[in-house]
Amino acid sequence: MATEVLVPPLGQTTDTVVLATWYKREGDPVTAGEPLFAIETDKATLDIEAPASGVLRDVSAVEGEKLEVLKCIGFIAAPDEKLPEAPATARASPTPAASTEAPLPPPPRQEKPAGGERMFVSPRARRLAEERGISLENLAGTGPEGAIVERDVRACLERQAAEGIEQPRAQASNEVLAESPLEEVRAITAAVTLTAEVDATQLVDLRQQMAEAGTAVSYDDLFLFILGRVLKEQPALNASLEGNTLRQWKRVHIGVAVDTETGVVAPVVRDVDGKSLGQLAQEASALIERAQAGRLSPEELQGATFALMNLGTFGVDTFTPIIVLPETAILGVGRIARRPAVKDKSFVIRETVWLSLAFDPRLVNETSAARFLQRVAHFVERPYSMWV
Amino acid sequence: MAEMTIAEALRQAIREEMQRDPRVFCIGEDIGIKGGFGGAFTVTLGLSEEFGHDRIVDTPISEIGIAGVAIGAAMAGLRPIADVQYGDFLFCMMDQLANQAAKMTYMSGGTVSVPMVMRAPVGSTRRGSQHAQSLEAFFTHIPGLKVVAPSTAYDAKGLLKSAVRDDNPVLVFEHKLLYGSKGPRSEKGALSPVGEVPEGEYLVPIGKGAIRREGTDVTIVGKLLTVYRALEAAEELAEEGISAEVIDPRTLVPLDKELILGSVRKTGRLVIVEEDNLTGGWAADIAAIVAEEGFFWLDAPIKRVSAPDTPPPFAPPMENFYLPSVERVMTAVKAIM
Repeated sequence: MATEVLVPPLGQTTDTVVLATWYKREGDPVTAGEPLFAIETDKATLDIEAPASGVLRDVSAVEGEKLEVLKCIGFIAAPDEKLPEAPATARASPTPAASTEAPLPPPPRQEKPAGGERMFVSPRARRLAEERGISLENLAGTGPEGAIVERDVRACLERQAAEGIEQPRAQASNEVLAESPLEEVRAITAAVTLTAEVDATQLVDLRQQMAEAGTAVSYDDLFLFILGRVLKEQPALNASLEGNTLRQWKRVHIGVAVDTETGVVAPVVRDVDGKSLGQLAQEASALIERAQAGRLSPEELQGATFALMNLGTFGVDTFTPIIVLPETAILGVGRIARRPAVKDKSFVIRETVWLSLAFDPRLVNETSAARFLQRVAHFVERPYSMWV
Repeated sequence: MAEMTIAEALRQAIREEMQRDPRVFCIGEDIGIKGGFGGAFTVTLGLSEEFGHDRIVDTPISEIGIAGVAIGAAMAGLRPIADVQYGDFLFCMMDQLANQAAKMTYMSGGTVSVPMVMRAPVGSTRRGSQHAQSLEAFFTHIPGLKVVAPSTAYDAKGLLKSAVRDDNPVLVFEHKLLYGSKGPRSEKGALSPVGEVPEGEYLVPIGKGAIRREGTDVTIVGKLLTVYRALEAAEELAEEGISAEVIDPRTLVPLDKELILGSVRKTGRLVIVEEDNLTGGWAADIAAIVAEEGFFWLDAPIKRVSAPDTPPPFAPPMENFYLPSVERVMTAVKAIM
């Protein structure tokens, strides 16, 4: 009759113990009463006697393994006796160890099987790969302990550039900067819109100078650039309401409203804060073209953390833009036109633009929104200050 | 501008502070006795002739006494510069430093201050385990003490002056092989860096480190003598195409974290070199700070090059084995490239 070898319940304060040493190996003869294995509890290391005589079989625990009490870790039976269905047969029996005198340190934790071996990647390399949309899977690691390090990711980027491969933008999920569950979210709210007339003369000049120098940028591109900066500084408006939780995002993705035959769509320009004006102009114009041709992919319409809508070309000055849920706010840009303004005590003619910032007052308060608008206005009025 | 050794720069600092402020005085063993060396390493040489024995006070061999008198004098309004002959003897005055000097301001609700300086020579110079320790880590761990470790003549004068003017107890660690002491107090194997020291008034602020050599591939942080080992290693590594940035924190408490983190952000790799034992040491603290606050900039594990966990040996070949060498620094750097 086969006898189960059980882990004895000797841990004083826990339900698990560590198997420190096997005194017998699979297949060894065992006499009842002799030390069979040693366990380590939180308080001491104890020898456990064999519960019966026979041959030790079907061992399913290794030295150093953490075990729950009363778990069956083997059988003592006759050599040819049929054993009951043994649990945990997936674990290999301990290979005859060279020496079982000293307890071995616990084996490394089993990594979740991901279909391959675990990769070692340095934090720096991982960060770069994520920023540039490189998949780590097929990279060779040349760093210490065979890890993938920064130079391996850079080599991949160079290879891709050399082969003219467009680096796929890894649609990596955005990182949450801060999260706050809201106590009670009123189901309906009226969005509040703040408006301001802003002197855009320098912005107009800037765009003109760039055009004369051969770089065509639109006002949308300029506003994207400005918004990227301000949203990074004031992430309270770079946020989404998800259920009852307000999430502030680390990355800035702005949906740009585009008028198409089938209505208004908002393709998303990603990581606006990290890009140069030229890059933004390129990306935005490509997205707008695809939008108008009806060729936007679903990914290109997702993930925005803020939105921009420009109705200036339609002659609209101020308006109440509609917040694109689940975002928190949207900036509406009106007509840029020459208007009278007052400087000291005289009238002057300035190019001005009306900005309309609509926001969800459940999520952002009026002064935060006002501060945001003020900052946008500051950069519109003094674009040079963005490069100082 | 004058060319000075560190011993001369320290002496000049003491002289200037004592001239400037009558409350400043020195206290220690053999620092002013007639015919003496001016302390163990000539730092106070000639000062007793200039200021008299009332302000260059010789004591019996009693570290507890030196510390206790300094603390009491500081609490009563004076500004003592005390010293031990060998840093190892700080352990004899541990309660005075750790329980009294370090905690007096806190425990008195800020009503009492202890504006004292304790100078201590550290480093291994073939004089055996109890005369060789680099034990700054014991003191960086005590809240209430500031700790500085100047490795150049310019920093020695500037930091000692800042220490005297600081209202907190400040430990000033000096390395025996960097003093440049001459004559009978000169040390075998000394580096004796001589540097330009402005003759006028200047201070080196406590809490600001220095980049001794700029680089892009790895950041090496050292203190006192190991800064020089790091610089030598950087020179040799450059020949092998590895560009190392060497940082000398100059102040250990409060540490110029931003300088180190900024460098690691640039290079992605960190090696810390110290003459102290590995376990629970100063390098471990720096490594923890960078692992905690600069983790995502690291491209490789952090390496510490320290002395092994044994007392410092007496026999020269064993001492050579014990101390962090230029080769060991280079090996550590290459292991993480």
